Amino acid sequence: MIDHPVLFCLHVLGGSARMWRPLAERLGPHRRCVAIDLPGFGDEAASPGGPVAAMADHVAAHVQAEAPPGPWLLVGNSMGAKIALALARRSEDGDPALSGLAGLVLLAGSPPAPEPMAEERRQAMIAWVDADPETRRREAEAFVSANVGAPLPPEDHARMVEDVLRANPQAWKAWLASGADEDWRGRIGTLGTPALVVSGAQDGDLGPEAQAALTLPHLARHRHVVAPGAGHLLPLERPEELAALIHAFLDNPPETTESPTLPPAFAALMGSDRVNTRLRTTLRERMREPDGPFCLRPGERATLAACLDRVLPQPGPGRIDLARRIDARLATGTGDGWRFAALPPDAEAYSRALRTLDAAARAAQGRPFSDLDGPDQDALLDHAAAGRLPAVPDGIAPELMTCWFEELRAEAVRTWLAHPAGLAAIGFTGIGAGGDDADALPGYRLTGLNARESWEGPILAAAGDAR
Amino acid sequence: MNLLGQNRYGLDEVVDAVVVGTGAGGAPLLAELAAAGLSVVALEAGPNVDPAGYGFDETLADEIYWTEERLSGGSTPEAFGGNNSGTGVGGSTLHWGAFVPRADPRDFRLHSESGEGCDWPIAQAELVPFYDRVEAFIGTSGPTPYPWDGARRFPLPPVLRNGPAELMAAACKTLGITATDAPAAVVSRDFTPGADVPERRACIHCGFCHQGCRTRAKASMDVTYLPLAVARGAEIRAEARMHGVERDKAGRITAVIYRKGGRDHRQRCANLILCAGAVETPRLLLHLDLATGSGEVGRNYIGHVATQVWGTFPDEVGMNRGYPSSLISEDYTRPKGADFAGGYLIQSLGVEPLTWANSVARGRGLWGTALTDYLRGYNRVAGIGINGETLPCDANVLTLSDETDALGMRKAHISFGYGSNEHRLNAHATAVMREIWEAAGASDIWVLDRVAHTLGTCRMGRSPDASVVDPVGRSHEVENLWICDGSVFPSSLAANPALTIMALSLRTAGAFLGSRPSR
Repeated sequence: MIDHPVLFCLHVLGGSARMWRPLAERLGPHRRCVAIDLPGFGDEAASPGGPVAAMADHVAAHVQAEAPPGPWLLVGNSMGAKIALALARRSEDGDPALSGLAGLVLLAGSPPAPEPMAEERRQAMIAWVDADPETRRREAEAFVSANVGAPLPPEDHARMVEDVLRANPQAWKAWLASGADEDWRGRIGTLGTPALVVSGAQDGDLGPEAQAALTLPHLARHRHVVAPGAGHLLPLERPEELAALIHAFLDNPPETTESPTLPPAFAALMGSDRVNTRLRTTLRERMREPDGPFCLRPGERATLAACLDRVLPQPGPGRIDLARRIDARLATGTGDGWRFAALPPDAEAYSRALRTLDAAARAAQGRPFSDLDGPDQDALLDHAAAGRLPAVPDGIAPELMTCWFEELRAEAVRTWLAHPAGLAAIGFTGIGAGGDDADALPGYRLTGLNARESWEGPILAAAGDAR
Repeated sequence: MNLLGQNRYGLDEVVDAVVVGTGAGGAPLLAELAAAGLSVVALEAGPNVDPAGYGFDETLADEIYWTEERLSGGSTPEAFGGNNSGTGVGGSTLHWGAFVPRADPRDFRLHSESGEGCDWPIAQAELVPFYDRVEAFIGTSGPTPYPWDGARRFPLPPVLRNGPAELMAAACKTLGITATDAPAAVVSRDFTPGADVPERRACIHCGFCHQGCRTRAKASMDVTYLPLAVARGAEIRAEARMHGVERDKAGRITAVIYRKGGRDHRQRCANLILCAGAVETPRLLLHLDLATGSGEVGRNYIGHVATQVWGTFPDEVGMNRGYPSSLISEDYTRPKGADFAGGYLIQSLGVEPLTWANSVARGRGLWGTALTDYLRGYNRVAGIGINGETLPCDANVLTLSDETDALGMRKAHISFGYGSNEHRLNAHATAVMREIWEAAGASDIWVLDRVAHTLGTCRMGRSPDASVVDPVGRSHEVENLWICDGSVFPSSLAANPALTIMALSLRTAGAFLGSRPSR
């Protein structure tokens, strides 16, 4: 629980302090936002901007001037997130001006690594900022529209366009030409500050896969939330959702690496034009934690989660919450077209089987299944697989537990391999078979033994020895 | 497929035939009847999907699988859904493997030959002209000459071999087993059979045949017979789920009731042709108490013994690349010294990861770190598998369960189990496949017992007491009811069934046209 914090908010490239108003209003008086204009933007447009370290100095001065009496947070959107990361490093290194930093909120953040961005787009953005007013307005409009999943409320859109237009072109170019490209990976290393990372499923280069590959590995305590339908300008697009996420984060900051990371090579493939938009969007949405409806009772869910940790262990860092996903699937009532006739319908079978397992744990050890040590859990699962668990009233008969355990194993692997982290772990390159132009799909040119195409190499290398 | 501008028939118009199902059974027939000038309406339970929109993803492919629940019982419960059951305009050909061996002539007279199983009421020779026509139209790729059938000609050269095929080819050569490029209904070159069907681009070796072919290289019905049918005047109604009929006093079907857009519609018709597959066709008949007088509907459910053998190789296999089953051996159609009736074919196997992992989790029984470690070896594994005869038997039967679906129709309950012939065939094949995989250099070899395809339940035959339809597919009991799909198979044949279903479809169409009083 982080009590009465102050949130220092750092805007996106071309934004300004005022883009945090919708979020600040929703966070309420006990979570006070101090929004800062970064050098070259908003009311600081007279400044020519500068490198990441200089912008971090600017923010540090604000923090010092504010002198928050209690814990405080850094909230950064895109460019602002990279500055927040740099400041978090300084804070963890003992900078007295930055003591009290209690959390990071990184929204579609620019990562410590050079930001992935198509060179063509970078050059175009650098070029139009110095163009005639008409072109500048047209491009600014296009820039804002391209960075949202759905159109903003007209007032927010207009304010954002005005912010882009009042930005100092020098600062705009400084970020694109060098700030975004600065490599802070070594300096930032791994931060222990709890972090909430939010990405938009409709974002471009800094979408969910980029966050999982480039940002999460720098955070020892993180929670990654994918916002479906959202783009890059999350503070304007999702103030309500962000406020709820920040409240939950403050009440219960992550203790560990909660969300799975991705190898950068796999994320880069996911973001490339070898992957069709439908697949990319689908894979991103599978990175999101389903928020229900669910059907298992809390005790059953805990047993399921404990089972899945034994059935399909995920070494981490970060894990796919398979139990949550399976629970959500069960609640939909959909399936894969068949079930063992001897088992009841899926949701009921799971519920009763999990209670059967838990009852066996309590009978043998006096504790719930989820509290047992791994080897004791394994012993019970062995019994389940062999049809030797004791029968319990309203449970699943011993011989049918064999069928249910087969179902569970199958559903576990299917759920794991629907997630990009699962596909990346086995070195699967098939997502790259082709992009959006159905008349010009690359497929594979090489199909034989020991023959890999150049684009596959990094994926295979990241998965280790496979292939 | 493009259905804009297709013919439209009125609900009150008595169309010459309503065809239920647009897969391998329904589509060729639909095209034939339309080409003969008949008014025909096809009802397809599933959606009309644009191939360009397939996602290269196994879970997204649920859109082309029949995922409504079926209950699997018996001693060898069979998996449905993505294993063998499709939906959408094109039916199961949207997800089929497009592996197109012709059935062996001996398999049509298995009972005469062995005293086991069941003879077909027709000889394979009768199907050959239809096989020829189908292959020329859908575009098959393969090796000419074909080692086990000197008369067979492929319009197109073979598709590329993938890793599992290379491994199997080398091992078979060592062991003296004949093996060659698979007969595949996937075009290895740009292809069109004529102006009514849009050109199809050559295969790009993406490996996603079972998830829907984005380039239309694979011969699904929505890129072959259905465009032809529409060009000749047929109407296809997607998301139209047939669930009822109206009949006159003589028992003739006068209209078909189907659900579309949340409400029921009634299409008047002179004939009904069921092509919904070996589960949904008998399920409809049982539900409607149609043609059930002999008690044969639902009986003699059959599939294929489809055991697979898996191994790990020192090579990078990357088995998701390329046409999945790009090598075949038909040397075991009648193995020498076999202690069982019938035989099997062998194919190399490359499988997409989710399907493969599902098999590993179920069939190998692994869990824990043993499971994750093995799955991480995905790029070094390859498989080999069979399709083997299963004999009809009384215990293998489709019935209606007490559970109902969203339409209030009772769910199908399928009991399936191996008899002694299947067990002996399986043991033989498993030993052969192990030997091949050992010769190929595999380690960590394991066996996946598996059943494929859905066949039987409305078998064809001459006797009305022992079959549901006559040798051309017409119901013995309801004069204007016809059936054309895998359900009419009296025995499973040691070959993947879809090519034979298409050939039967053309043949049934001819018989249907011939049965009509001349106008």
